[in-house]
Amino acid sequence: MDIMEASLLDKLNSPAMYGIVALAIVLVAAMCVYFMVKSWRAGIQIGMDKNVLRKAIVSSATFTLLPAFSVLLGVVALSGSMGIPLPWLRLSVIGNLQYEVNVAEIAAKGVGLSGLKITEMTPEAFVTIALVMTAGILGGALLCLLTLKAYSKKLSGKPKAAGSGRKTFGDWAMVAMFVGMCAAYIGSYIGQAVAHNVMLPLLTALVAASAMAVCEFLERKKRMHWLENFDLAASMLIAMAASVLLGRVM
Amino acid sequence: MDNGKILSGQEKQSWFARYNESMHREGRIWTVVCLGFLLAVPFLMGLVLGAMPDMNRFLRGFINVAIIYYPTSLVEYLIYVPMLGAGASYLSFITGNLSNLKIPCAINAREMADARVGTPENEIISTLSVATSSLVTVVVLALGVLLLVPLQPVLSNPVLTPAFDNVVPALFGALGLKYFLKGKKFAAIPLVLSGAVCILMPSMIRQTSVLLIIIGALTIGVSFIFYKKGALEE
Repeated sequence: MDIMEASLLDKLNSPAMYGIVALAIVLVAAMCVYFMVKSWRAGIQIGMDKNVLRKAIVSSATFTLLPAFSVLLGVVALSGSMGIPLPWLRLSVIGNLQYEVNVAEIAAKGVGLSGLKITEMTPEAFVTIALVMTAGILGGALLCLLTLKAYSKKLSGKPKAAGSGRKTFGDWAMVAMFVGMCAAYIGSYIGQAVAHNVMLPLLTALVAASAMAVCEFLERKKRMHWLENFDLAASMLIAMAASVLLGRVM
Repeated sequence: MDNGKILSGQEKQSWFARYNESMHREGRIWTVVCLGFLLAVPFLMGLVLGAMPDMNRFLRGFINVAIIYYPTSLVEYLIYVPMLGAGASYLSFITGNLSNLKIPCAINAREMADARVGTPENEIISTLSVATSSLVTVVVLALGVLLLVPLQPVLSNPVLTPAFDNVVPALFGALGLKYFLKGKKFAAIPLVLSGAVCILMPSMIRQTSVLLIIIGALTIGVSFIFYKKGALEE
C-alpha cells in the first residue's frame, strides 16, 4: 500500500467520519426505540400478555445474533476499499449484506473506476459512490413514505374469513413466499453443486436442515418448547461448524 | 391479563384504526428525518474529505443501480408489507437487511405469538420484532467496529472462512426445513424448478435476487391453485 492509499484510508477512517456515521446510526436506533416502546404500550393496552411480548423480543434478539455477526463480516469485507465508517453505516441501517458489495461495485463502475479498488479511489469518487449507494437503495423507504398508508388501507379492506379458525389464503401466501424464498436459495446451491462442482453451500444447507429436523422433533414430540427460541440459531451454528470440517475434508 | 383491558371486537377495531393512523403519521415523520440525514451523510463526509459528489457521475451510477434495485424494492414492498403491517414496514425499509433477517425474524416472532396476519397482535409483534432485531444488529455492529482492529486476525483466520462464507446457506437450510414442512403439499414444485433452472442456466446462480422474485411469485401462484382446489385443508 503506497502513501497515497494509506493517507486516503486514514481520512476515511478519521474520527470525524466515525462521528457522522455514529450520528446517523443513533438517529435510526432512536426510531427503533420509539416504535418499540409505542408497540409495547399498545400491546399492553389491548390486553396482550406481557410474557408474549417479552418472548417476541427475546426470540427476535436471539434470532438476530448470528446473522448480525455475519453482517459484521460484511463490514470487514468492505473496510479495505471504503474504510470502516461507511460500510458500518451501510450495513447497520438501510443496507443489505447480500446486495451491498454488488451495489458498491456497480456504483464504483458508474463513477468511472474499473471496480471497487482503493488504488483508484479519490475523495470525490468516494463521496459520489456513497451517494449512489444511498440513493440507489431508497426505493422501499420512498414507497413507504408515499404509499404505505393507502396500501395498508387497501389490504385491510379485503375480507377475511373470520372465526372459523381456517387458514386464509393470506396465511398460505406467506408460507408460500417463504417456501419460494428458501427454494430459490437452495436451488442455487443445487445449481452450484451440479454446474460448478461447488458442494459446500449445499452440504451446509443440508446439515442445517438436518439439525432443524432434530429440533422440530424435540419440540413437537418431546414437548421441548423452550427450544423454539434457539432452534434456528443453533441449527445455523451447527451447520457453520460443520462447513469448517467439510471444507477441510474437501 | 396484565395492565391492559380486554376490548370487545368493535372497540379493538376502532382502537386499531387510531393506532394505525398515528403509526403512519409518526412513521412518515421518522422516515423523512432519517432519509434526509442518510442522504446528507455523503455531503457531510465530503466536507471532511474536502470533495463533493460529482453529480454527472452520480446520475450515471444511480441509473445503473436503480435499474436493478428499484423494481426489486417495489416487489419486496408489495410482498412484505402485508406480512409486516405498518410500523414494522416503516422500520424495515429504513433499517435494511429485509429478506435475510427482518422478515424471517418477524415471521418467527409472529408464529411464536400465534398472531394472525392483519390483526392488531400481528402489527404489534412484528414491530417489536423488527425494532429488536434492528437494535441488536446496531449493537453487534457497534461493538464489532470497536473491536475490529484486535478481532481482525481472528475473523480473517482462514480456518473460519468456510463458516462465514456459508452463513446464508446455513440460514436457508434451517429455515427451508421449517417452511417445507409447513407447505409440504406444494414445496417440492418450487424446489425442483429452482434447482432445474440453476442447473440449466448457471448464470441464474448469481442472480438470486431475480430468482427469488420469480420462484416466490410462482410458489404463491401454485399455493393459490392448491388453496382453490381445497388441497391445503389440514
